[in-house]
Amino acid sequence: MKRFIALFSVLVLLAAGVTAMRYDYENVAITYDGSDTKVENLYNDPYKYNTSDPDGVADIIVKTNLEKTMAANNVAAIVFDYRGFDTIGESFILLAAIAGSFAILRTAKRKEDDHKDEA
Amino acid sequence: MKLKEGIKETNVVVKSGADMVLPFAVVFGLYVILFGTVSPGGGFQGGVMVASACILIYLGYGYKATTTVINREVLEVNEALGAIIYVLLATCGLFLGVRFCQNVFYDIGNVGDLISAGTVTFMSFAVGYKVLTGVGFLLLLMLYLLGDGDEEEEVDEE
Repeated sequence: MKRFIALFSVLVLLAAGVTAMRYDYENVAITYDGSDTKVENLYNDPYKYNTSDPDGVADIIVKTNLEKTMAANNVAAIVFDYRGFDTIGESFILLAAIAGSFAILRTAKRKEDDHKDEA
Repeated sequence: MKLKEGIKETNVVVKSGADMVLPFAVVFGLYVILFGTVSPGGGFQGGVMVASACILIYLGYGYKATTTVINREVLEVNEALGAIIYVLLATCGLFLGVRFCQNVFYDIGNVGDLISAGTVTFMSFAVGYKVLTGVGFLLLLMLYLLGDGDEEEEVDEE
């Protein structure tokens, strides 16, 4: 029974993911398809490549950042707003790393002390 | 400066160096945290800079002084507190009907002011506080293994 429930929930998640991908593909406008990037020019003469007009996500963030977040530092806006979920993961990785090293180092210290007592 | 009981002074040159650099390190780290949304920097970087004060105190005054001045358990609790504040601020967006982590309350000043960027600023502070206490705790933990020898030497001398 347990195994059946697990399989069922995995299948539901998979179906939801596929539906969301389909929806995005059909209804959300593509922000960047690479057609504006002239790779040949960039390869032949990188110093003369026109970088004054960015495209894709960079274009959107640079042009609408001040209206959306009022943060003068674009990087801070990306880290804490556009990619805030990523920052949560990063800080919890730090928390987990510190908890793990605390557990390991405390045990190591105790063993060292025991060894010294024996000697 | 009067020292607390049980704190032994180390080399004068190292101690003076630590005394001289410590205030600048702490103040500059706090500056980087506070002005993270206005100038280059942010929570993570500033937090690590403030946490390096642990190492400076250790270099100047030894392990015992570091544990006397900084309480390890308080740091551990405050790290979790910073994480909780960050998650609560990120959830503000959901209550106001927008995305998780989306910036809200940002219409409160001109661009370039300290708290003009709404929740981005406060989330930066929360992450800074979290990294400050977390990395400080980690450094103290590493010094805990080094500091064992000092204490035993002192006991032997007595």
